[in-house]
Amino acid sequence: MPPFQQHSRMSTVQLNNLNKKYSDVEALKQFSLEIQSGELFTLLGPSGCGKTTLLRTIAGFNRQDSGTINIDGIGIDNLPAFRRDIGMVFQDYAIFPHMSVGDNIAFGLRNRDVSRQEIKSRVADALETVQLSGLEKRMPNELSGGQQQRVGLARAMVIQPKILLMDEPLSNLDAKLRIELREDIRKIQKKLGTTTIYVTHDQEEALVISDRLCIMRSGQMVQVGTPWEIYKKPADHFVASFVGKMNFFPWPFAGLDFHDLKVPTVIEDLPAKTNVGNESEKLIVGIRPEDVFISNSTAKVKSQVIHLKGTIKNISFSGREAQIHVKLIDGNQLVAHITRPGERLLDEIGKTVQLELPHKSIMFFNNKSGLRR
Amino acid sequence: MKHLIYSLNNIWTIVIFLAFVIVGLLLIFPLYNIFVASFLDNETGVFTLQNYTNILGRRYYRTAIYNSVIVGLSSMVGALIIGIPLAFFTSRYNIKGKSLISTLAILALVSPPFIGAYAWIMMLGSNGWLRLGLESMGISMPTIYGPLGIILVFSLKFYPFVFLLTAGAIRTINVSLEEAAESLGCRPFSKFMRVTLPIIFPAVSTGALLAFVLSLADFGTPSIIGRNFRVLSTLAYNLFTSEMGGNPGLASTVSILLILVSLIFVYIQRRLIRKKDYGSDMLRRPEVKQLSRVSSIPVHALCYLIVFLSSLPSLVVIYNSFRKTSGPVFKSGFGLDSYRRIINDVPDAIFNSFVFSISAVLMIVALGTLIGYTVARKPSILTGFLDSLLMIPYIVPGVVLGLGFIVSFNSKPVVLVGTATIIILVIFVRRLPYSVRSSVSILKQISLGVEEAAISLGASPAKTFLKVTLPLMMPGVFAGAMMAFITAINELSSSIILYVGGTVTMPVRIYLSVLDGEFGTAAALSSILLAATGVAVFAIIHITESDEGVFL
Repeated sequence: MPPFQQHSRMSTVQLNNLNKKYSDVEALKQFSLEIQSGELFTLLGPSGCGKTTLLRTIAGFNRQDSGTINIDGIGIDNLPAFRRDIGMVFQDYAIFPHMSVGDNIAFGLRNRDVSRQEIKSRVADALETVQLSGLEKRMPNELSGGQQQRVGLARAMVIQPKILLMDEPLSNLDAKLRIELREDIRKIQKKLGTTTIYVTHDQEEALVISDRLCIMRSGQMVQVGTPWEIYKKPADHFVASFVGKMNFFPWPFAGLDFHDLKVPTVIEDLPAKTNVGNESEKLIVGIRPEDVFISNSTAKVKSQVIHLKGTIKNISFSGREAQIHVKLIDGNQLVAHITRPGERLLDEIGKTVQLELPHKSIMFFNNKSGLRR
Repeated sequence: MKHLIYSLNNIWTIVIFLAFVIVGLLLIFPLYNIFVASFLDNETGVFTLQNYTNILGRRYYRTAIYNSVIVGLSSMVGALIIGIPLAFFTSRYNIKGKSLISTLAILALVSPPFIGAYAWIMMLGSNGWLRLGLESMGISMPTIYGPLGIILVFSLKFYPFVFLLTAGAIRTINVSLEEAAESLGCRPFSKFMRVTLPIIFPAVSTGALLAFVLSLADFGTPSIIGRNFRVLSTLAYNLFTSEMGGNPGLASTVSILLILVSLIFVYIQRRLIRKKDYGSDMLRRPEVKQLSRVSSIPVHALCYLIVFLSSLPSLVVIYNSFRKTSGPVFKSGFGLDSYRRIINDVPDAIFNSFVFSISAVLMIVALGTLIGYTVARKPSILTGFLDSLLMIPYIVPGVVLGLGFIVSFNSKPVVLVGTATIIILVIFVRRLPYSVRSSVSILKQISLGVEEAAISLGASPAKTFLKVTLPLMMPGVFAGAMMAFITAINELSSSIILYVGGTVTMPVRIYLSVLDGEFGTAAALSSILLAATGVAVFAIIHITESDEGVFL
């Protein structure tokens, strides 16, 4: 039985034209966004893109220069942080070091008029939810980083805030814990249904954990969508390269020797949208490494596939997969991603191979604007 | 060559040995003698508990213990009340002139302690201009004399400990903790009390402890403005120098009690901060916030009022030093009468002060640097023990160590009482820790790798120390030397016990002048001390670029 379900509050968040400038850096530029109630929404972007600024502005730790923030349609811009009723989970856990686990979790409840009895039961419930039952009396320095962040999570959600903010909560944990805890966070969030805004720079984490995510760059939104949309239909070159891995090479209207694009690979065979190929518009081809297939240089050509010849330059083996770096005849490099690599893999270096790029997996980006066609 | 390397390793052994001999002879031995004396009958020299039963049994003496603790605690609270807000505002908000504020606080801290008492007499004494001025406006002020005056002077004197330590801690607290409190619905004041203060408690309580221990140890202030208000330090002094023949047994007992009270509070503080080191490597430092227009004025006013009040004594002293005098009486108008008088009447005090302090400082630097090196770079049980022994001077009041010196070096084979040497030695051992500590702290900033690199490039350990380590240590060594100098030249409480006619120093002369009502002479001498102190502070700040921690 999920402890808080009957209390959980679902709120929508609207951000309207937020601007924030730090000396000469524009951290947020005309930023607008609507977050649905109950969703786990992620702000993803490289460091300095404004995602943390945005989160802290919502929390009330810094004030936007202009624009408004509404929760359930009500402006919260003039409320100080301590009256916003927004829970926050911090990158550095921010567990009060002088208080026991139980006191940490009860802290927010004691600021609200909650009876002693209720505090006790809610703290116990919260501990159970984050799987720390029995550690109530422990001091923070007796906990591991992962446990501390669980306390941080329990402390933020026990006050049943309107929304929950998470500022890179996993970035200080080691890889294994990170995966474990991110699954738990998602589970708990779904159970409670609290609208959650999650900030991370880890694209894999963002894809796994989110209902929807927003890709940010230089204080602006680049794309909002579900993890599937972001990965499969990136809005532009930046999103495509930031989320997941992507091979890029210029579309060979200029340069590449056409003899290497074997029949039946002609422009007309590519997906219809690429036919816009007007001469002046230079395009960049993008394809995910896992969509690139390697075959023998003498293998038969297939339809609806671009075939490219190249030499294996390097192979990086990482256990369940391997990245094969192939140098094309024109000098461009492509990476193919193969799963379950075989034992003799490394012998392949130097071999000439044929790369198969299925048409359906190829994306085209405008060389100038970076937008996907 | 090989021989040299071998002998260098021996040098550190010799340093450690020498350090133990010196600490043993100049610190442990005098304190041991005091301890023993407290159990001896003055007349017969046999073991007795009489001294303790006397002190603890008679109300007259018990009051002194009680008074000392009350004054110490009240001054500590005063220092906290003044120091914490000042630290909070200057480290969190855009207060204009922050460096001026902290420089003034530092000057107040290192200026001669008895100057405060003297200057407050000029202002709030029976004929103090401030008191008379206020009286003429119909506001009656109590005089500065008595416990409240002592507490006022101590609070304004020792708050910089709290201020500097708290400011350092507030600046480096992990701001996420405060934000977490805020996001959990905590109001600003309650956030400060429930989160910020508990986290910086180790620093705050260390500042408070310093204020307490130094209030307890101070002799000049209660002696000058205490009147009939007895505290332990004045009691020890009076018992020892009483005109009816001193009572070394009772004086020693009072000294032991004085140390005991300090130790108890050191112990309490250590207990309280146990396991409370909340240092974190994942720090987001707090930002400096803009004050709103409405709050800006009162906050600035408060900060500047505090440092103004604590600098006021120095200003009053300097002002008075330039007033015309006729004999001991101030006249209207300005002149150099007081300076002329001190140069004519007490040139020896000025000369002695500088000679004694500089001699002591040279010895302090020479040995302190070497000890600091062994403590920092050759950690062992011995050097660790040495390091803790060097904490003793922080706890033992000057009066007590002065008594210890008299008891210890007054009979053959070593008769030092009445010489300049004994004063230099007492200053040397009391201020040695400054040099050791500043050497240790600068060595912590010098990577061991630098020394190892020199050795791997073929430099001998001796050459490495002289050509690489020592030059890098210079800022710390210099800052330690200056701090030792400041405290040496302003030393009153041990020299008041050890001086004889020929070895009078400026602080002693000032003390005697104030008691005699020679306020002009006192002001001129105090101004010279202030000038010397100011130059040293300036040198520390501008030459070594040390942070404020060096003044603690």
